[in-house]
Amino acid sequence: MKRLPVLMIGVFVAILGVLPFDVWSMGARVPTVGTQAEDFRLTDLDGKSQSLSQYRGKIVLVNFWATWCKPCTTEMPAMQAMYDRLRDKGFVVLAVNELEDDAKVREHIKQYGHTFPVLMDRDNKVANQFGVFGLPVSVFIDQEGRVQEYIKGGLLTEQKIDETVARIQKQEPVKAAALR
Amino acid sequence: MARKRFILGFILSLAFVFFSWPGPQTAQASCGSVTCFVVIGSQQQVSPKGLLTVNAFYNYTPQGTLLNGTDGVIPAVDLDNRQLILGHHRELRTISQMYTLDLNYGVTDRFGIEVAIPYKRLRHQHIDGLGEANGGAGERTNFSDNGIGDVFINAKYNLLPTLSSMVVTGFGVYLPTGDHDQKTAGIGGAETMEPTAQIGRGQLGLQGSIYQTYEIIPHRLNQFASASYRHTFRNNFGYQFGDQFDFGFGANVVTVPWLVLTNQFNYRYMVHDSYSGSLSRSLTPSDPGFPDEALVLDPNISNRAVPTTGSTYFAYTPGLQVGLGEAIKTPLTENTSLYFYSQIPIARDFNGNLAQGVSYVFGITKLFQIMNPS
Repeated sequence: MKRLPVLMIGVFVAILGVLPFDVWSMGARVPTVGTQAEDFRLTDLDGKSQSLSQYRGKIVLVNFWATWCKPCTTEMPAMQAMYDRLRDKGFVVLAVNELEDDAKVREHIKQYGHTFPVLMDRDNKVANQFGVFGLPVSVFIDQEGRVQEYIKGGLLTEQKIDETVARIQKQEPVKAAALR
Repeated sequence: MARKRFILGFILSLAFVFFSWPGPQTAQASCGSVTCFVVIGSQQQVSPKGLLTVNAFYNYTPQGTLLNGTDGVIPAVDLDNRQLILGHHRELRTISQMYTLDLNYGVTDRFGIEVAIPYKRLRHQHIDGLGEANGGAGERTNFSDNGIGDVFINAKYNLLPTLSSMVVTGFGVYLPTGDHDQKTAGIGGAETMEPTAQIGRGQLGLQGSIYQTYEIIPHRLNQFASASYRHTFRNNFGYQFGDQFDFGFGANVVTVPWLVLTNQFNYRYMVHDSYSGSLSRSLTPSDPGFPDEALVLDPNISNRAVPTTGSTYFAYTPGLQVGLGEAIKTPLTENTSLYFYSQIPIARDFNGNLAQGVSYVFGITKLFQIMNPS
């Protein structure tokens, strides 16, 4: 019994030690509004590779979600409605799924009839890149790849998306002009 | 009567807090007593910004098992005369019941504050005055006390906030809010009860902790580990509780969305308590003049380890958590879960004192979004 304290400390240290090494480098900070969003590349449900940078010139809503997350699935119809309405006006939704099976996600997307691209963040890398440790998180990125709004937890509505997109579209030329 | 009313009021207040709060909520729990060291996730974690995690749990811990080779005879800590009398008591049974209200609030997404307010009920039976009263056989004494224990305030920081992994460090203070000078009827009249049978420790305590969790299979299987160290300073009676090391590790398995099964192993190591007093011993039948007053061995007041304190305890703790919001869809049950744990000893050594038996924890967790997280 007297050796147990040492043994338990050893067990605890060992548990911390066996965590994947990259776990310790995770937990990046939330990107500051106005800064350039870090690019990422993920595969979608069709196995096609997609990157954030390929949507340069469009307003991108990057939404981190999972099927078990109720607030996430609650706000998705609003995302779909706005995607349908604004996609021809340079708006795109990238729904980044966290750590789930393709089959489960595919079933959910089919059931609710979502047509926006769904990307699979299988190792949590992009979520960590964007400082996401709770779901949902929505990040609005402008035409030049800058973060314009970062929303944690709060539900997205059609009105909220509409207002945010309108604000970004309105301010963009001004900001761009100022930068030049 | 007043105590009974207080307990009833306390329980009703808890019930009121839980069942009358409108609005959005979400949930998980931490133990502040020596009687409880189950790792409850919602207590250990840092609540997200603006989220209040309320845990209310009941802990039942019996201490009445005589291990092989022990007889339950322990020294008396005579606080009124500042002396430690060896072989003066025979322990019969102690039942500790604790009702704890544990509040966790996320100040930021990484920094949180926890406040744990315990209400303790203690029932203690022993034979007092071995070698003195009743021809040396001693006198059976019952003692009980109820009251608010030592309140724990803890600052926690999430070192590794990710979706799949979390490492939380904590540094907390135990405030000496619990009653620590309760009297009992002794053989020489009213005397101050021993520190280990008091509700509070009578002095500040500090605790450092670390908690880690990792999603092995996201939302299906996660492992966790925790470690903590508690130090209590010497109180005004000259008594110092020994340092306490707690370790726990285990895993949670989500079976169906509303039912999570938990298996964990817990280990506690407690250093001997220390008492600043003179040293005596009770007379035994082989001593001339038996039965009589205790024999003084060292009249000097000095710090002495109390021999039958300190312990090592290794236990297996199965448990379950029921997500009420998942099982019953109503606004009242939203973000609410119930949990139950049973702690079964595997190996234990209580240095001649009575050993802790199978203990139980039953609790409820509810989440309240107080402020907008964004």
